[in-house]
Amino acid sequence: MIEEYRGFDIKSLQRPTPAPPKKTPLIRIRGLTKRFGSVEANKDVSLDIHPGRILALLGENGAGKSTLMSMLAGRLVPDEGFIEADGGKVRLESPAQAIALGVGMVYQHFTLVEAMTVAENVLLGQTDSFFVSPPHMKRRVAELATRFGLDIDPGARVADLSMGEKQRVEILKLLHRQSRVLILDEPTTVLTPAETRRLFDALWSMAAQGKAIVFISHKLEEVMAASDDVAILRKGRITAVMEKNDIRSKSDLARSMVGRDVILSVNKPPVELGEEVLGIDDLSGHGLKNVSLSVRRGEILALTGVAGNGQKALVEMVCGLETPPRRKLFILGERWRRFYARAPWKNALSYVPEDRKGLATAPNLDLVDNVLLTTRQGFVKGPWLMRSKAADATDGLILDYNVSPPRATALAKQLSGGNLQKLVLGRELYRGPRLIVAEQPTQGLDVSATEEVWTQLLKSREDAGVLLVTGDVNEALNLADRIAVIYRGEIMGVLDANDPSQVARIGPLMAGLAGTEE
Amino acid sequence: MALRVVKRRNPPAWSAAAILVCALVLSLGVSLALLAAIGKSPVHGLVALWNGSFGSLWAIEDALIKAAPIFLCSLGLAVAFRMQVWNIGAEGQFALGAMGATWAALTFPHAPSWVLLPLMLVYAGLLGAAWGAIPGLLKVKLKANEIITTLMLNYVAIFLLEYMVYGPWKDPASFGFPVTPEFTPSAVIPLLGVGRLHGGVLLCVFAGVLLWAFLRYTRLGYELKACGEGAKVAAYARMPYNRLVLFVLTASGAFAGVAGFVEVSASTGRLMTSIMAGYGYTAIIVAWIARLRPVPIALASFLLAALRVGVENIQLDMEVPAAFGDIMEGLILLTILSGQFFEQYKLVRKGAKNAPAPSASQETAP
Amino acid sequence: MNFDMVIALLAASVQMGTPILYATLGEILTEKSGVLNLGVEGVMAVSALGAFVVAQATGQPWLGVLAGGACGVFMALLHAVACVVLLGNQVVSGLAVTILGLGLSSFMGQPFIGLSAPGFTPFAFPLLSDIPLVGDVFFRGDALVYLSYLLPFALWFFLQRTRLGLEIRAVGEEPEAALAAGLSAERLRMIATLAGGFLIGMGGAYLSLAYTHLWTNGLSGGRGWIAVALVIFAFWNPQRAIIGAYLFGGVMAFQLRLQATGSHISSSLLLMLPYLLTIVVLAASAARGRGDEAPAGLGVNTAPEE
Repeated sequence: MIEEYRGFDIKSLQRPTPAPPKKTPLIRIRGLTKRFGSVEANKDVSLDIHPGRILALLGENGAGKSTLMSMLAGRLVPDEGFIEADGGKVRLESPAQAIALGVGMVYQHFTLVEAMTVAENVLLGQTDSFFVSPPHMKRRVAELATRFGLDIDPGARVADLSMGEKQRVEILKLLHRQSRVLILDEPTTVLTPAETRRLFDALWSMAAQGKAIVFISHKLEEVMAASDDVAILRKGRITAVMEKNDIRSKSDLARSMVGRDVILSVNKPPVELGEEVLGIDDLSGHGLKNVSLSVRRGEILALTGVAGNGQKALVEMVCGLETPPRRKLFILGERWRRFYARAPWKNALSYVPEDRKGLATAPNLDLVDNVLLTTRQGFVKGPWLMRSKAADATDGLILDYNVSPPRATALAKQLSGGNLQKLVLGRELYRGPRLIVAEQPTQGLDVSATEEVWTQLLKSREDAGVLLVTGDVNEALNLADRIAVIYRGEIMGVLDANDPSQVARIGPLMAGLAGTEE
Repeated sequence: MALRVVKRRNPPAWSAAAILVCALVLSLGVSLALLAAIGKSPVHGLVALWNGSFGSLWAIEDALIKAAPIFLCSLGLAVAFRMQVWNIGAEGQFALGAMGATWAALTFPHAPSWVLLPLMLVYAGLLGAAWGAIPGLLKVKLKANEIITTLMLNYVAIFLLEYMVYGPWKDPASFGFPVTPEFTPSAVIPLLGVGRLHGGVLLCVFAGVLLWAFLRYTRLGYELKACGEGAKVAAYARMPYNRLVLFVLTASGAFAGVAGFVEVSASTGRLMTSIMAGYGYTAIIVAWIARLRPVPIALASFLLAALRVGVENIQLDMEVPAAFGDIMEGLILLTILSGQFFEQYKLVRKGAKNAPAPSASQETAP
Repeated sequence: MNFDMVIALLAASVQMGTPILYATLGEILTEKSGVLNLGVEGVMAVSALGAFVVAQATGQPWLGVLAGGACGVFMALLHAVACVVLLGNQVVSGLAVTILGLGLSSFMGQPFIGLSAPGFTPFAFPLLSDIPLVGDVFFRGDALVYLSYLLPFALWFFLQRTRLGLEIRAVGEEPEAALAAGLSAERLRMIATLAGGFLIGMGGAYLSLAYTHLWTNGLSGGRGWIAVALVIFAFWNPQRAIIGAYLFGGVMAFQLRLQATGSHISSSLLLMLPYLLTIVVLAASAARGRGDEAPAGLGVNTAPEE
């Protein structure tokens, strides 16, 4: 694995003040079990949370980290076990009860009111007087922000903030409620390396002021850098709890997290390059600046960067959801306008979007209807739709792509994320595309589903060119032939994925630095 | 006893029927209580309602005849509602249809019926469709909320109809009554030979089958269904969302227009203001309680038409205002809508164990 | 048309616009919490009757207004139970409330047709009525008209400067965020819907106690729907609602004047005017708006917490 891709050496970061020794825990979790139907998301989990210390909760996607913390935050009620705080058992059946106890959580999906100001968001549900005064609110929030080193303009509208700033608002909300335990769910996925560093500074500042921090992550380097204690969760159970200073090597950590030595590495045989299937020539607008890219048949071009740097606009234009400026975009050698005037369903462009539920599939329709979404032109005779033929094709896809439950009459909403993604991928490959746009194709999938998706994408480049849009550098390195890094709507560079010296530049480029160390 | 709400994993199959029965009983109970409140005997009311609705062959025929326009309007609305397009304008589209049919009937009074009736149908369908297309265009081009535009066009249509029967189309021999001249016999839909049932009922069967086949077996029908899942999916699948919105509003307008044709031709034989009896609004209730499916729409149309006939009987028998029917319709819709909650959720005593599901939001935006 | 007639027309616009203003403000408050109440028409009809009956029985117009408000709360409660508690579709529930309300008002109102009740009569507002033009147009109305001048500002202040207002806006924008902040979406939406119902009810009361002092069927006459459209026109801003309400009051007053002066235009065609104008205004504001003025959570039901 390549470690250096982050913009600065994350291992060099260190908590400025030493963590206080473990004394009486603030929260004791004892024997928590949570089931969803027949699935055990958490099994007999016990854990202590200490004031002034940062606990990293490490585990793969689907290991049960979020479920565990949701129980602590009052969002889910455990089926068995209990939670103790201040030496007594507590019942946490609503977020309000958890908040009252001083437990707060920052979720991956922020729960902010976009149309309101930072100050209004922080003080929502918190103001004690009947009347509210905006200047007074702003002052209070500014004071709080300064105290914990969270730089933010209290009068700004949340809708105008960057992801990093929104995260600070979420943290401020908890701090204003005098939360003693702050839980952060995968906080760094939306941050640039520089923002990550600022977040760590803030976490240390909060810990130094006595807060207990729980930090959910699946990234080893971050856990090693930021935390004092590490708890590892695998398949719903705690497999290890250790102090950071006792950890000998990162591979130890990796082993107890995944339960096997190899993480994921895929075989990437070279394929001969064909004609250009996507050409972008000096495209600006919709937040993009002078973007030029080219994808040829036989290669995977990864477009990587922190979420929100213009990827969405680019994908929407390429996939025909937004109209680009004239003569800037060429698909399969045709001008965008000409291509989308007919947009053949077969042997053309396939799009595997990030939003699997609600964009790529219709949750309330069955699998046949969902397959028909993009393939219906292949099953029509005049005005008639040949649904039985489509049903046969769906059965074939279910078999080929190992979709479960294996029933074409199942509704899309009954499928898990991984199975839904396999169905979408199968459907899109069924169209025999020459250009594939895959957006965060493995986000939220477990290891085995990720492996299947990766294999399919690699195989598909024998007949097609792939534009892989991903924020996961690891995915880009594993799959791509070339990697384009996007920052604030600009392509910072296109790198050869097989050249280690170039790969090292990804981190700085993602942070907008032209190849130099920060 | 403290209760809490738990999501049902699989709604039991009988729940829809149980909700319908409970809602009807509750609505009837409240309505009868209101009768008592104005000093009428609720028992007498119940008997009169039953006799009026189902007590005689005459009543059942009457209900079937009244069900025809409701059914036609409702079919069209169901197509629009499937796409989450809220056409509240069946009433106005019905009025335009009636005017279209009248126009043809008054323009070509001497045409033979095999020419005139199809002509009236086409006129009615086209005018109804045009009346539906207006809010469609406003929605597609300007993003104007169709709930309000379709509703406002109902008022406009009714005033337009009034204008026609008070003005240009007024029967000179009507002694000042606002009615058009009576249609010639060739403009009247013939009877079927079964009681008082007329060809309009046959037309309903035909329209129902047509629509069912259309939704099930055509590409356009599939696209309408898929688009009902949201504009985002529609855009992803490259479906012409705007064109489909325009299509459903136009099509539902055409259906309502045909309903207007059936009403003026078969029921009244001339255009007059009293044909605006709120069928277009009743059709909304029918579409909703039938959950937008053709066969239940037929049943619900008959049920609500029977209710109307029954209320007419109460009205005559007990001197109760006609609005009694509106109250019952409003209550039925409200109780069924509320009752559907219990399909998705059940109440359990607090503390009882149950597998909960993560909270979710439910989209009902217009 | 001479100058005095113009003044009279403008004054009539204010009077005709007042019930619409009350209803629009009530609907703004409701929608700010994320609840779309399409039942305004039915709510107004029931309130008009309730206000009339109580004023007639007690001889106290203000008691009538209270009763109108109470009827508004009751009808809004039906909507809130169906949508906020039982998660029914808001569009359908609003329609049901309209059908039910119109039915109830003409059913229960039958015995009162043609009766009159003590209501509100215009009086010159001390001092302010002496201002030229403005005094004649705005300060020779009745007590409910004067009260309605304060309301938009009071509503703005409530939404922007009180804790409850902040919470109601939050739940209307982002129910999940409000929930995360420990607020109860159900409670806030209930409060806003019922309070909105009270204001809509006052608009209904105006119809039977100030606009006419008689009871007739169909008093609401589509004003409730116009109010729903005006909320969009006003971009959910209470102050902008004033302009919209008086615009419609103006058209209604103008149309009545034309009928009264025995114009050659058919009354049916004249009666269409306000409804056609609604469509025009709605289309114009939809085309002109940015598209994000509506509360983001409008019409979105929140599932119960488990």
